[in-house]
Amino acid sequence: MQQQMRQLQQQIQNQKQTADEVDTLEEKVAEVEGRQDEWLSDSIVHLAGYGEFNYADREDADGSFGDFLFAPIFHYQYKDLMMLESELEITVNDAGETETALEYLTLDLFLNDYMTLVGGRFLSPIGQFRQNLHPSWINKLPTAPPGFGHDGAAPISETGLQLRGGVPLGRGMFANYAVYVGNGPEILAEAHGEAGETDFEFELDGIEAEGMNADEDGEKVFGGRLGLLPFPGLEIGISGATGKATVTELEHVDIESGFLGGTEEDAEAALSGEPDRDYDVFGVDFAWQWRGLDLRGEYVKSEIGSEAGSVAADGAEWESWYTQAAYKFTPTKLEGVLRYTDFDAPHASSEQEQWMLGLNYLFASNVIAKLAYEFNDGQSGAVTDEDAFRAQLAYGF
Amino acid sequence: MKMNTSHEREKAFRTLALCAVLFAPTAGMAGDAQDRAADISRGAQTWVNNCARCHNPRDPKEFRDDLWKPITYHMRVRAGLTGQQTRDVLKFLQESN
Repeated sequence: MQQQMRQLQQQIQNQKQTADEVDTLEEKVAEVEGRQDEWLSDSIVHLAGYGEFNYADREDADGSFGDFLFAPIFHYQYKDLMMLESELEITVNDAGETETALEYLTLDLFLNDYMTLVGGRFLSPIGQFRQNLHPSWINKLPTAPPGFGHDGAAPISETGLQLRGGVPLGRGMFANYAVYVGNGPEILAEAHGEAGETDFEFELDGIEAEGMNADEDGEKVFGGRLGLLPFPGLEIGISGATGKATVTELEHVDIESGFLGGTEEDAEAALSGEPDRDYDVFGVDFAWQWRGLDLRGEYVKSEIGSEAGSVAADGAEWESWYTQAAYKFTPTKLEGVLRYTDFDAPHASSEQEQWMLGLNYLFASNVIAKLAYEFNDGQSGAVTDEDAFRAQLAYGF
Repeated sequence: MKMNTSHEREKAFRTLALCAVLFAPTAGMAGDAQDRAADISRGAQTWVNNCARCHNPRDPKEFRDDLWKPITYHMRVRAGLTGQQTRDVLKFLQESN
């Protein structure tokens, strides 16, 4: 009898211990759940971006490592209403100095399911390369197509307001759109003082379409892009911009000995009172994915109109197009790429026709090693005429 | 219609911009009811159809649930996704990691 009593007491004690353990466990679960809820706040901070490391060996130069790029992208989001996005580009120049640039900074206000108002300095919606393909972990070759980089035919960025979004059209079709108004670009010119002459000769040198922080001519540029996705895997886009731009800066001043018309300062002074002139951009693009094949192409033309009242009266246009095919050799991690580009510019030294052949190894979808060779055809003696071998390691995070 | 002057081109672009502002929400709501609950299967389909338009698709396991939210909203702006597509893709990614 006494033994049975002891066994019962022991069972009661064990049950009490188990109940205490369950209580403790429940408290711990509640604590962990509470910690998880801490991540689900109204405001979210997120750091994304990409980095790259390059090696280049041009035909008439020694091969060198360089062109490191660290491009952090900051996201600050408040509920489903607002997001701040900003990308920096941190590079090291040939002198070993660090350079930092603000690629874009926007406040995105999500108005409804179909419209987002974007304000600030944003990537140009003209075409696809600049706004969607330029990060090195996305671009399938180590360089941008000629004419789609800085000082090319395609605008880089714009400062202003943009409305963009997507719209379902029914039967599996979608459209996306972007319309914007911005400060527009500024025009670069160059001056040449010839021996024996008394006046500089000016001509247009380039378009500085990189989100100018002021509107020198007071005339806004209007533009946009409309993309149509008739079925999954295919997107066709048309884009354009129009407005005014003004010559504001001299990129080069070349004065020969014996020139009688003044100094570099005199050439720069001649730009005061420059009139605004027509600025127009037109672009079309397409992208098609089918199984392991990625085929895309893009055409863009930027045009500056003639203006009799300007120091550089003649107009100019910059035009470039590329088409690119990439194929993933599944189940391996290899990807082959072939791209053709033809860039026409007012100056022969900038013009370039390029074939680029590349082989990529995808360590992961966002970690890519690239080997590529450029076959370039440009002005004889110019860097645009030199073939080049390039290697790049890119990581998107 | 031949546009002879920059002024006419600007006017045409302004008109297009106005049409887009007025047309976009109306057309969208006609084809799809707004604020439907996020759906994982629709999200998977949208993820397959859209991410590879520009880049290699990222593994859902690459990020935590809370980090996928700003990423998908960033892509909403970049890729021209609707709000519904964004919520669907977010649901798919959060349920698949």
